[in-house]
Amino acid sequence: MAVKERNARGLGSERLREALVGYGFIALPMSFFLLFFIFPIGYAAYISRYDWGIFRGPFVGFDNYRQLYHDTVFWQHAVRNTLVYTAVVVPLQMAIGLSLAVVVNQAIRFRTFFRSAFYFPSLASSAAIVSIATYILASDGLLNSFLGRLGYEHSYAWFARQDTALPAIIGLNAWTTAGTMMLFYLASLQAISTEVYEAAAIDGAGAWRTFWKITFPLLKPGHFFVAVVSIIGALQMFDQSFIVGGTSGGPNYSTMTVVLYLYNRAFSAHFGYAAAIGLVLFVFIFTVTLIQRLLFGKAEVA
Amino acid sequence: MRKRLAVGALLSTVMLFAVVLVSGSQAMVGGSVPNSAKKLTASKVTTVSLNGWVGAKVEDDLLKTVIAAFEKSHPNIKVDYSGFNNYQTTMLAKFSARKPPDVFYVAAEDFADWVRQGVLQPLDSYAKKTKFSTKPFYTGLANSFKYKGKTYGYPKDWSSLGMQVNPALLNGQKVPQTWAQLRSVAQKINIAGGKPICLGADWARLMAFVYQAGGTGQFKDAQSAPFRVAVNFYINLIKDGLAATPDNLGAGWCGEAFGKEKVAIAFEGNWMLGYLKDTFPNLRYTLAPMPKGKTRGNLAFTVSYSMAKDSKNKAAAWTLLSYLTGKVGAKKWTSLGFALPARSDVKPVAGRGAFVKYPRFTHGWGNQVDFRHVWTEVANNELTAVLQGKETVNEMLSKIAAAAK
Repeated sequence: MAVKERNARGLGSERLREALVGYGFIALPMSFFLLFFIFPIGYAAYISRYDWGIFRGPFVGFDNYRQLYHDTVFWQHAVRNTLVYTAVVVPLQMAIGLSLAVVVNQAIRFRTFFRSAFYFPSLASSAAIVSIATYILASDGLLNSFLGRLGYEHSYAWFARQDTALPAIIGLNAWTTAGTMMLFYLASLQAISTEVYEAAAIDGAGAWRTFWKITFPLLKPGHFFVAVVSIIGALQMFDQSFIVGGTSGGPNYSTMTVVLYLYNRAFSAHFGYAAAIGLVLFVFIFTVTLIQRLLFGKAEVA
Repeated sequence: MRKRLAVGALLSTVMLFAVVLVSGSQAMVGGSVPNSAKKLTASKVTTVSLNGWVGAKVEDDLLKTVIAAFEKSHPNIKVDYSGFNNYQTTMLAKFSARKPPDVFYVAAEDFADWVRQGVLQPLDSYAKKTKFSTKPFYTGLANSFKYKGKTYGYPKDWSSLGMQVNPALLNGQKVPQTWAQLRSVAQKINIAGGKPICLGADWARLMAFVYQAGGTGQFKDAQSAPFRVAVNFYINLIKDGLAATPDNLGAGWCGEAFGKEKVAIAFEGNWMLGYLKDTFPNLRYTLAPMPKGKTRGNLAFTVSYSMAKDSKNKAAAWTLLSYLTGKVGAKKWTSLGFALPARSDVKPVAGRGAFVKYPRFTHGWGNQVDFRHVWTEVANNELTAVLQGKETVNEMLSKIAAAAK
């Protein structure tokens, strides 16, 4: 490796050609990336410095950020709910995803069927799932009638009560996205060499021990990837709240999230303010991801 | 090596954002397009675009027949109508692209914000020039579309709230007419698995009671005495077991709870009548005016036809707008009873008397700055907090007043 590199450095023209070919390959995706990811972020930063309604208003410096700093609905409800949601849903998704992945990685009958079945909820549109869930969780819905048969008679409207609305969304989302997490874990599981397992088996390790001592640590790159994807998704939670709370984030702010608040602000013609919220969220997610990278070390950069 | 490159790329990306963030003061090219008004020739056919949100199919069909009638009597104007979902979102996009429709609906809840964004055309001079008679419009409705003395829309139609009563469940009592009677009647109603009254956890119902208590109905005045009186009356009905919110009655809204006979009394608008007829055709009920508190008071939910400031066919747009809100158009549009006529010179269809009995005490809902935010995001969330015992009435009112200021 080292020798090769030195050689490449020596042969300038060849290296240049190689580089050009490389850049040529990434030119198209990179230009899309710049146009649809980097430019909008920069433009949002630009908008966030204006009192931007439907049209560009006066330049206001950092007023939007200052106002956001004092916004109690944002901090006490939107941010708080989003953090609670993330803290609960991410471990849940990872745990369910990993368990499913381990199960369908075994040589069991109908393995392909189970893989598809577990993945299926992730394919359905979240709007459709939430809409159906609103019927199931209604006060005279399926869940309550089921609980009633078990002897727990009550008429909770799960999505309409502040203490159950967010937990209901958490449960629903853990279920729907666990399939995707399973898929990611499955890929990492299959990347683990069978030799390690054989060695463990020869050493007399049981299934439980093999999992915790071999599989779990060797899944580190998988954990990192799943955690990043899951956290980013959780911090951006919007559609479930949007459908359940009908844009109001109710009842009693319990389903108000950062992105829902951003959406509401934007489409009540406060785009400058909404852009400021977006930037704050972006910086936060960016920081969290960097911290995660540090925590998980360099192992995954292979 | 590779790592250093990655860090470098990261750093430069972060720098790029920082630069954009700080240098935001430098103006980028604004998107202002000169309004080159096209000259109309008498023989040429002008197309006027008309947008609204999607209603029920029967309503859409009715609107299309009204438009057809207009096109017939105005052969040089063609109307290009379309309705869509996510109306507010879509309209904001159209406004910012400076390609708004010529004529469109404005919900009273959005009105003040849209006027302040400068996207609506003042109409007073058009009305004056064409001698369009604005007197027949009910004052409360006309005021919903005035901002700082100028008119930016005329009401398309409206609905107020009424009291729906299921006489079979009243135990032989008379229909209540005052707050006191409402309470005493409710105390003698007994519905298995239900409650006497359905009350929405929504300021779009509660505010009618604020007006009945003599209040201003402005969220910024939430700490005034009438607000406190009305809120306490409303909430005590629930606390004392005389009323419940629809989610505690196994219903999505009070209309459903009323239809399922889980309650004897509900306070809903004209929209309830068609719903009950379709969903619960065998239900027998009567419609009465809202109960009287210290005074009479009711809410008017209304929508305007307005014109875009960026419209390129303003003359033709006005012709359409004044037809739709004028006597002929309004009569056709309200002929099937989907909504009430906003003009006193057009009579509503039979059976709607209770809604229009006291127009003087009917106040437009909306037309306050940042109304949707204060109403749905703050006031309604605070109300559910109070109903679930997580907050006091005083805390709620002070938070609402703060949000509205």
